[in-house]
Amino acid sequence: MSVIWILFVTGVIVLPATALLALRWAMRQGEFRDLPRIALSIFDEEEPVGQFSDHFPGAAPRGNAGGPGPSSDGKRIRHHS
Amino acid sequence: MNAIPTTIVQALSPADTEDAAQKRAALAEIDASCRPVLLALFGCSLVWLLIGTVLALIASWKLHAPDFLANAAWLNFGRVRPAHLNAVIFGFASEAAIGVTLWLMCRLCRTPLMFGWVIILAGIFWNVGTAVGIVGILAGHSTGIEWLEIPPYATPLLFVSYALIGIWGIITFRYRREKHLYVSQWYLLAALFWFPWLYSAAQILLIMEPVRGTVQSAVNWWFAHNVLGLWFTPIGLGAIYYFIPKVLGKPVYNYSLSVLGFWSLALFYNWNGMHHLVGGPLPAWLITVSIVASVMMTIPVITVGLNHHMTMFGSFRRLKDSPVLRFMVFGGMSYTVTSLHGVALALRSVSEVTHFTHSTVAHAHQGMYAFFTMVMFGSMYYIMPRVLQVEWPSARLIRLHFWATAIGIMVYVVPLIVGGTLQGLAMLNPDIPFLDPNKHSVVGMTLPYLKTRSFSGMLIFVGHIAFAVSFVWMTYRWLKTLQVRNPLATRL
Repeated sequence: MSVIWILFVTGVIVLPATALLALRWAMRQGEFRDLPRIALSIFDEEEPVGQFSDHFPGAAPRGNAGGPGPSSDGKRIRHHS
Repeated sequence: MNAIPTTIVQALSPADTEDAAQKRAALAEIDASCRPVLLALFGCSLVWLLIGTVLALIASWKLHAPDFLANAAWLNFGRVRPAHLNAVIFGFASEAAIGVTLWLMCRLCRTPLMFGWVIILAGIFWNVGTAVGIVGILAGHSTGIEWLEIPPYATPLLFVSYALIGIWGIITFRYRREKHLYVSQWYLLAALFWFPWLYSAAQILLIMEPVRGTVQSAVNWWFAHNVLGLWFTPIGLGAIYYFIPKVLGKPVYNYSLSVLGFWSLALFYNWNGMHHLVGGPLPAWLITVSIVASVMMTIPVITVGLNHHMTMFGSFRRLKDSPVLRFMVFGGMSYTVTSLHGVALALRSVSEVTHFTHSTVAHAHQGMYAFFTMVMFGSMYYIMPRVLQVEWPSARLIRLHFWATAIGIMVYVVPLIVGGTLQGLAMLNPDIPFLDPNKHSVVGMTLPYLKTRSFSGMLIFVGHIAFAVSFVWMTYRWLKTLQVRNPLATRL
């Protein structure tokens, strides 16, 4: 029975409290402000906005708005410029 | 090496180029730090995928040819089927999910993978635990509880492994260089937090100090449903939210919707599960609450579906250029379809027909394979070339992998939903016998659908072999590039 109580307390109090704390922390950190900027955070120098970053092996990527092209040998990929 | 256009050179000041070079170097450092860990995790997950598929084929074949391997006790249906389930859930899916999570966390936190040896150690524990568990199931030591069949002597290894991974996740998050959290990180962090809660609660309530009576089935369905919805689903969605915008080079259609989708998933999903017990000896309110929560799941499903579709809008022609996008879009669309199908299955009037039929099996595979597994394949296609600095060796193998698995799972799911529904209607008809070789019976009418299922399994297996060949070939190519870069290393 004691184990059931531990699980009950965990499920009903600790977990919801953790979720609320996470929400409070996120609001204080400004995680819900300037959302469009956060949406852009996955892009970087290597794979910027406007650059299509995947293609079948051996096929040159087409239609990129900018950024580095494929490697010259068609086998090795980026990072080493 | 590509020549840099002069216009770009002129536009960038020395400080800019230095900053860009630093960022590029930091990115390369992150990918390089993940290399040994991801090679080990993805490699092992592929071995489990092949083992799990063979076990699935044996189990499927036995459903329409019961004499097949009938003399081998360790390969009877009651052992092979749970062995398949645990091999793909813990061996393949969880390991692939952990690998994808590690890479995404490192990339999004903009920090290299720290303490890689901890993850390697965790991976060893995880694989040993899974192997001991699968052998235990085949030896007849299964607990008999669905999704938790691994014998109690193997689960501590999985616990230790997961504890190490969880601690690693907290450390990486603590030392992140990117202040703000992208929506994928919300999903990934929540999954890392939810899984130990689910697994430990289910282990305690069902294995260590088992509750009595029908509460067991309630806990069992709570775990089985939530491990899909609170462990695999967040990781799958987190991956889609990263890879589709990243590959297309355009941000997600509506970021606010993605945040709403995450929090509504967190709020509604864990109430699900009891809808599988419609008609069972449980308090009606418990089942009703679960059905209501299942219907509420339309909120996160529609937000996610809308976001993925609108992000892709205008770029669908790109599907023919990108293997990653193919797998991701197939997985994303499957998530929407399987979730809305799940909402329908949760309704009392529908569940009364489809429960205890092959329709439920089709639904589970739609979620676990058509959605999650395809997303994991797409993630690996994106991650591995960046980590190894080598391209995938063959476009043909990738195409074979995609079409064999995509057609295979469609051929699996659609007929089995139809057959399962007809099976359910027949079971409700007292004039149709359950099993009678001389008359139209419930078992007899399902045979064509079960044979189709075995055929689809073979198709999927072909796709898995193509992927495994690609992976091994690519690793071999990477080893060759190491030899070229450092010939001395090969002599040592």
